[in-house]
Amino acid sequence: MTLGDILKESWISISGNKLRSFLTVLGIIIGVMAVVIMVAVGETVQKSITDQFSSLGTNTIVIRAGAARTGGVRTGNKQTLTITDAEQIKRLPDVMSITPAQMGNAQVIYGNKNWSTMMLGAYPDYAAIQDIEVEYGTFFDDTAVKNAATYAVIGPDTATELGLPENPIGETIRIQNMPFVVIGVMKARGDSAFGSQDDMIIIPVTTLKKRLQGSKFPDAVTMIALKIFPDADNNVVIEQLTSLLRQRHRIKDMDEDDFQITDMKQIMETMDTVTGYLKLLLIAIAAVSLLVGSIGIMNMMLTSVAERTREIGIRKAIGARERVIIIQFLSESIMISFIGSMVGLVLGVLLSQGVGRFILGYDVPFSIWPVILSMGVAIVVGLASGVMPAIKAAKLNPIDSLRYE
Amino acid sequence: MKDKTPIIVMNKICKSFPIAIGGVQQVLFDITFTINPGEFVAIMGPSGSGKSTCMNIVGALDSATSGTYELYGKDITTMTADDLAIVRNEHIGFVFQNFNLLPKRTILDNVMLPLMYRGWVMNDRIIRAREMLKLVNLENFEAYLPTQLSGGMKQRVAIARALAGNPKLILADEPTGSLDSKMGTEVLRFFEKLNKDMGITIIMITHEFEIAKFAHRVIHIYDGRITYDGKIPKSETVLLKSEKRHKK
Repeated sequence: MTLGDILKESWISISGNKLRSFLTVLGIIIGVMAVVIMVAVGETVQKSITDQFSSLGTNTIVIRAGAARTGGVRTGNKQTLTITDAEQIKRLPDVMSITPAQMGNAQVIYGNKNWSTMMLGAYPDYAAIQDIEVEYGTFFDDTAVKNAATYAVIGPDTATELGLPENPIGETIRIQNMPFVVIGVMKARGDSAFGSQDDMIIIPVTTLKKRLQGSKFPDAVTMIALKIFPDADNNVVIEQLTSLLRQRHRIKDMDEDDFQITDMKQIMETMDTVTGYLKLLLIAIAAVSLLVGSIGIMNMMLTSVAERTREIGIRKAIGARERVIIIQFLSESIMISFIGSMVGLVLGVLLSQGVGRFILGYDVPFSIWPVILSMGVAIVVGLASGVMPAIKAAKLNPIDSLRYE
Repeated sequence: MKDKTPIIVMNKICKSFPIAIGGVQQVLFDITFTINPGEFVAIMGPSGSGKSTCMNIVGALDSATSGTYELYGKDITTMTADDLAIVRNEHIGFVFQNFNLLPKRTILDNVMLPLMYRGWVMNDRIIRAREMLKLVNLENFEAYLPTQLSGGMKQRVAIARALAGNPKLILADEPTGSLDSKMGTEVLRFFEKLNKDMGITIIMITHEFEIAKFAHRVIHIYDGRITYDGKIPKSETVLLKSEKRHKK
C-alpha cells in the first residue's frame, strides 16, 4: 500500500460523510485558531512591554530616595538623596551619564491659557538617559544648571495646550508665576507605561529646587537616574552604588539602605517572565478548545469504526494486515487534524494580523511558533485521537465483522 | 504434468466457541478431508450444521481449536493474524453470499483491492483489474458504484475481485443465495468454466442439493461431523440417509 493509496483511501472515507467531517475539522480549526491568536496576543503584549522598558535602556539604573521598607512599611519619597550624591556617583568609572531628578506639579500660564502639568528638574544628561530628542531649539546645558537659569524644555502636548506657536523658541511662559524662556520643544514620544511623556516640562534641577520650590534642602532630590556603559556589569555597578551611598549616608552595617536601586535589566527580565507566564496562560486556555476538538476527532473515528465494521471485515478477509488497518484509520484522523490545523493556522494568522494592525493599531509580530505548533498539533492530535479507534478497528475479528449488519 | 500435491489437508479439526452462560460449545468434531488441485467441491449441510465454521477455517478467517490444517503444504494452524491475512491474500479468493463489495468504491477499485494489499503498483493493478472485469463481462462498468448494479452483476464483480490475485483456490459461501435462479445458474456455470478451463479449485458452501450438483464432490456435514464425502450422488436421499446413520 503506497502513500498515495493511503491518502486516497483516507480522502474517500472522510469525504464520504461531508457534514460530519466538516464539523470535526471545525473543532480543530477553532482550537488551532484560538491558540495562534493567543500566541500572537501574548507576543504582542510581551513585545509592547519589553519595547517600553527597553526604550529606557537596559543599562539604565534608577536610585530612589527612602528605604524600601521600614518595619514593614514602605517609606518612599524621603529626600535622602542629594545632588552631591549624583556628583559623587558620576565619578564611578562605569557611569556614562547621570542626572538627579525632582518631580513636581506646575501651573503654567501663557497668554490667557492656563495649564497644569508635570514638571521635572534634571541635568542635561536626562535627555541622553531618556533618549529625548528636541523638535525645536535645544536642551539646556550645564551652565544653565549651574546658574539655575529659568529655561524650560516643554513637551509637544504642553505646547499645544498652552496655545504656543508652532516654533515657540524664545517665548516666555510663567511657571508658578515665574517667567521661563522656552528653549526647546521635545519630539512626540507617545504614551509609555509611565504615562504621557509629551505633556511635561523639564527645567534645570537647581532652578526647580532653589527658585520654584524654595526648599530648605536645595541639595535634596527624590531620584537619581544614570546610564552605565553598555559593556559594564549592572550587578557590579549596583554594588558600587550601594557601597558609595551607604558610606555617604553613614548607614551602619545593621541598618537598611535609605535608598532603593532599580535596575532596568532586572525589571525587564521580571516583566519578561511575567508576560511569558501570561502568554502560557492564554495558550493553555486556548488549548482547552483544541483538546475538545481532538476529542471530536476521536469520537468521529470511533463512530466511523463502528459504521465501517463490515468494510474492515472485507478488507481483512481479502488480505489487509492489522498494521494496514491501523495506518488507514490513523491517516484519516491525521488528515482531519492536518486540514483543521492548516486552516486554523491561516485564519489565526490573518485574524491576529488584521485585528492587531487595522483595529487595535498594533504591529503584531509574525512568529514561526504558530506554524510549528500547528504542524505539531496536526500530528499529535491526529495520532492521539486516532490510535484507539485504529487499534480497535485492527483488532476486529474478520468473521464477526463480515457478519455485522 | 499436473501437480497433485493436495491444496488442503484437514486433520481432526475441532472447533469450540465460548457461550454466554459459561463453558464452551463444540461445533466441529474431528473434521478430516483432503482437497486436491482442480477439484470442485461442495460442502453441504443444513443450517447450524457447522459448514460455515468449517469454511471460515478453510479460508484462514478463523483458527481451529485443535487438529491440524495444511494449506499448500504449510501448517497454518498456529499462524498469527497478520500471517493469515497474507495467506488469504495470496492463495484464496472469496465469493460471499451478500457480495461484500465496498459500497463507496468503484467497481474497478473493488477489484483492485486485493492487489493493493499485495503491494502492486497502480498501473499493474488497473491492467489486471480490467482483465478480470472483461472476464466477467463487466468491462463497461468499471466506474460504477456497486449500488448501481444488479445482484448478478455484483456477484460477478465479487468473482472478478476473487480472481484478481490469481489464486488457485476460490471459496464461495452460498454464492447464489442472494440471486434469482437464472442469475444463480449463470454464476454456477461461470464457476464450472473457471474450474474446467483454468483449473481453479473451487470449494462452495451450499445447503441446496441442486446447487451442489454443479460440483464433482460433496462433503456433507451434519451436527459438526462429516457424514458423507464422495462423488455427487444421484439423489439427495443418499445424503439424508447419511445424516440418519449419524443420528443412530
